[in-house]
Amino acid sequence: MKAVAIVIAALAFGVLPYLTSSNYILGVAVSAAIYTVAAAALNLIYGYTGLLSFAQLGFWGIGGYATALTVVTFGGTFWLGLLWAGLLNAALALVVGYPTLRVGRHAFVIVTLTFALLVTLVARDWVDLTRGPLGIPGLPAPSLFGVEFKTTTHFYWIAWAYALLALGFLYALGTSRIGRTLVAIKQNEPLVRAQGIAPMPYKLAAFAISAAITGIAGGIFAFHLKVIDPLFLDFYYMQTFLIMVIIGGAGSFWGVVVAGIALSALPEVLRFSSDFRMIIYGVVLLVIMLVMPGGLAGWIHQRRVARMRAALR
Amino acid sequence: MTALLEVRELRKSFAGVHAVDGVSFTVEQGSITGLIGPNGSGKSTTIDCIAGFQKADGGRVILAGTDIAGRSAHQIARAGLMRTFQTVRVYENLPLRDNLTIAAQQFDDASWSDELFRTRRYRRAAAAAEARARELIELVGLARYYDAEAGILSYGQKKLLALAAALMPRPRIVVLDEPVAGVNPTRIRDVEDVLRKLNASGETFLIVEHNVEFITNLCHHVIVLDQGRKLAEGTAAAIHTDPRVLEAYLGMTPEMAEAEMRGAA
Repeated sequence: MKAVAIVIAALAFGVLPYLTSSNYILGVAVSAAIYTVAAAALNLIYGYTGLLSFAQLGFWGIGGYATALTVVTFGGTFWLGLLWAGLLNAALALVVGYPTLRVGRHAFVIVTLTFALLVTLVARDWVDLTRGPLGIPGLPAPSLFGVEFKTTTHFYWIAWAYALLALGFLYALGTSRIGRTLVAIKQNEPLVRAQGIAPMPYKLAAFAISAAITGIAGGIFAFHLKVIDPLFLDFYYMQTFLIMVIIGGAGSFWGVVVAGIALSALPEVLRFSSDFRMIIYGVVLLVIMLVMPGGLAGWIHQRRVARMRAALR
Repeated sequence: MTALLEVRELRKSFAGVHAVDGVSFTVEQGSITGLIGPNGSGKSTTIDCIAGFQKADGGRVILAGTDIAGRSAHQIARAGLMRTFQTVRVYENLPLRDNLTIAAQQFDDASWSDELFRTRRYRRAAAAAEARARELIELVGLARYYDAEAGILSYGQKKLLALAAALMPRPRIVVLDEPVAGVNPTRIRDVEDVLRKLNASGETFLIVEHNVEFITNLCHHVIVLDQGRKLAEGTAAAIHTDPRVLEAYLGMTPEMAEAEMRGAA
């Protein structure tokens, strides 16, 4: 029953281009799909595993640049670029993660933040590779089997298909024993070790998977914008992903998906008041955090636990 | 009887303080062995070293013929030694069911890809774990909370859950760190009964505990630590009358103890 509802909802998003031909709405929908995937990837490492990673911003940027450079500098296809974006990010996550995760959670936050800043520096200052602040404009439309993905509608299909794939994978992972083990590691690491489970491979895998998914999302988004420059590493993106995870409820797959879609749409819905748009957006976020400190999913969860307690009295 | 766990000349010091100073003892297969001693006598450090949560400075820990000293905690658990913690540790936000099945998952043959694709091997392992979980939750008397989150349990109930979790993978030996500290006195009997029942079915226990009555009721063999050294060992009855134990543990001479016993009677 639930599965049927999910499939219908997923397909409903697929027919969006038939309901509207507005490039503006479809553009927002592309952002929503891509941001939601990036937020869900952050949710894997932060929400499930309890490791706050600011490196997501770096992975996002590296993904964008890796895809763009594969196409523009090395003459590869967009799809090959995405593959590189995923592989490169996974490898980097292992290299950064292994020494850092041995030290502890706080060190992890600091090192991942530094990593993100480092990637920004590289994007701006390694002019030979990235063309520095000028960026790489005019990213060509990707094509597949002779079909060119030129319009926003076309791009919506790519974003939609990737979102289904990535979210489906994250859902399967999150509901498997692996996902449950990640939650267990967040809640009580000594107990996990006492039960014969080595936490490190789980943490590293979560970080690498999260990095690869974020990187590919970045690659798609760069080609949607058709340009990449150091502004692609603006902290705005990191903040967006983090807000989606926190408002949705860290550790809840559906909470973050719902928040990802809703918070992508919210600033656009508020366009009726262009002067106060961002102020209203901020106020809405503040009110949500005051009313539901555990996010949407945390709030629902608390009510359920309260009911259960009452039933067991 | 054969020695299941053998600790030889275990040493651990912190900044020059000898917390554990050459402790040796054995736990027989199928026994309930008690480890007691006043605060700061090195009990917790001893079992932390045995279970791999602290690295001993020296000595050997032999579990069923294999030296496990120096291995990390998860490796020692896989070798068949499960432990509980003095300050109870459970997964507060997970249902009891998951609290139990996670404890067994390292011990079946399902790989990560089995888990991700929900293969038959995974489903078989999960079903076996579920069956074991139901059996144990019944045994410790928490069956009605099976699907509830561990966070709603009382402190004493969490200790029972931790005990059940430690038993999930059918370990060779279970090390219990203060299993009844903070447990409602009326429920201590229940814990005793559960442990006795498990022991009768072949389970071996090493128990660290402050509650002398609990240890006396339950243990076949008792080891007394004081200031990082083994002070005495023997049956519970022998320990009770050992003058060194009374002095160190209860701070009184045998005469005083006798006087107190008479006063109580």
